[in-house]
Amino acid sequence: MESSASRIWPIGGGKGGTGKSFFTGNLGYLLAKQGYRTLLIDVDLGAANLHTIVGIPHPPKSLSDYVNKRVASLEEIIVNTPLANLDLISGAMNNLDVANLAHEQKMRLLRGVGRLSYDYILLDLGAGTSFNTIDFFMISNTGIFITTPEPTSIENIYRLIRSVYFRKIHQVLKTYDFKHLAEEAERRNPRAIVNNPDLLLQVMQELDPEKGAKLQESLGSFHFRLALNQLRKQDSHQIGTLICKIIEKHLALRMQHIGNVYFDDRVHNAICKRMPFLELYPYTQTALDLRECCRILLAREAAAPLQRAES
Amino acid sequence: MKPFREQNYYDILEISPDALPLEIRRAYKKAFALYQDDSIASYSFFSEEERQEILARIEQAYLTLINPESRSAYDSTLIASGLLEEERTFRDNSREPITIYDLQKTRRDSPSPARRTDELKALAARDPLIRDLLARETLGGDDLERIRTVLQVPLEEIADKTNIRIETLRAIETGSLDLLPPLVYLKGFLRSYCRCLELDEQLVLEAYLKRIGLH
Repeated sequence: MESSASRIWPIGGGKGGTGKSFFTGNLGYLLAKQGYRTLLIDVDLGAANLHTIVGIPHPPKSLSDYVNKRVASLEEIIVNTPLANLDLISGAMNNLDVANLAHEQKMRLLRGVGRLSYDYILLDLGAGTSFNTIDFFMISNTGIFITTPEPTSIENIYRLIRSVYFRKIHQVLKTYDFKHLAEEAERRNPRAIVNNPDLLLQVMQELDPEKGAKLQESLGSFHFRLALNQLRKQDSHQIGTLICKIIEKHLALRMQHIGNVYFDDRVHNAICKRMPFLELYPYTQTALDLRECCRILLAREAAAPLQRAES
Repeated sequence: MKPFREQNYYDILEISPDALPLEIRRAYKKAFALYQDDSIASYSFFSEEERQEILARIEQAYLTLINPESRSAYDSTLIASGLLEEERTFRDNSREPITIYDLQKTRRDSPSPARRTDELKALAARDPLIRDLLARETLGGDDLERIRTVLQVPLEEIADKTNIRIETLRAIETGSLDLLPPLVYLKGFLRSYCRCLELDEQLVLEAYLKRIGLH
């Protein structure tokens, strides 16, 4: 996949209801307001919500038109939102079976996204750890994870991160090497493998240091971010930082904590009104938190070179 | 960051080699809280076995380092294998008396507080730039910054005295609406800011709010 001029930020989280669409929509709102040409893409096929969050209850076109080849290019299904600079590719489905993309359809979509030209492209991924979700998450190295401070959500986030790790190893090593590695690792640690993809890395480094180094470099190229959503008064503010610490210490993956977003009952109101939360309640703590997250994300962009889209 | 299995006791507790016993204790508590069964942040990440292993290591790190003898023995092994430099180890200086003068919190050669207040007031009254700015109907964040610069008061000092976050003070001085705190707080912060600089609170408050249209 060629690198495009756009910075692509996939936004995912293991569990449904953590606020991925909420975060994606409002983050896009903030970027657009600051003058960046921003495209939101709802890749949560089968459970698309992004169009509702940004205020387009009935999108005239959607991904299903592209996937079913009713239109030839992604540009044709881009919809303008009420906010200048902010566009949307909706995932609202017409066909009920399009939720499961075939491999070739997925590759076509990934390539298409890589060719679009915006300042920022935000991908709202579905919950769970299907291959489709993970492959979209790996479209760039700068994925953003959304979790709430509940053990259920945290468990699913860890699972997602491990799945991404695992899939990356799978991608970097050719199939034969991977199979050989998995067998060897299994032989040495009969019970551990399924939960511990980092064990695969360890074993690889022993078996073939050169390949191991290549693998490590590849894994080290991830610059993940974590946002803690729906934080309540009684929750510890440290949770986000601690999760990042665990990931960095035990999986050797870069994970930056970009902020805590407070729980606010009024998010419910905004969604029911089908309008962006930031437009209705710009001075709440939650709004300030979202702005702070955006500021940190942009600061990181200023410091780091442009990320290339993954093939 | 080194992978966990390769970390030495200092890495595991995330302390520097010359950490005080107090810091070691605190670090141990933190590490324990993160890896114990109830911890939310590490929920589901480790198997029961792994968790116990890690906790055992942390405890071992703590017990070794908190005891001066075992600590210096451990330090010696690290120094011998080139992982630690002698200069960076902990030296116990706690028996020396602390000089009285160290207890005063002086950051620069500043005169006593009362004299400083009068000086600021006098300077504000004399300086033509300040008088000119204060005479205007509206004041921007950049005007406040200019006044503060003339009075030679660093932003850190205001942050320190008022306990207002320095990012918030910067936001006030740039006046970007997006970054300002809610109005109720903004008013209070502006008052505190003025008090530090010995400026007329009401005057500045009205002028500032008028400029950003929140009056």
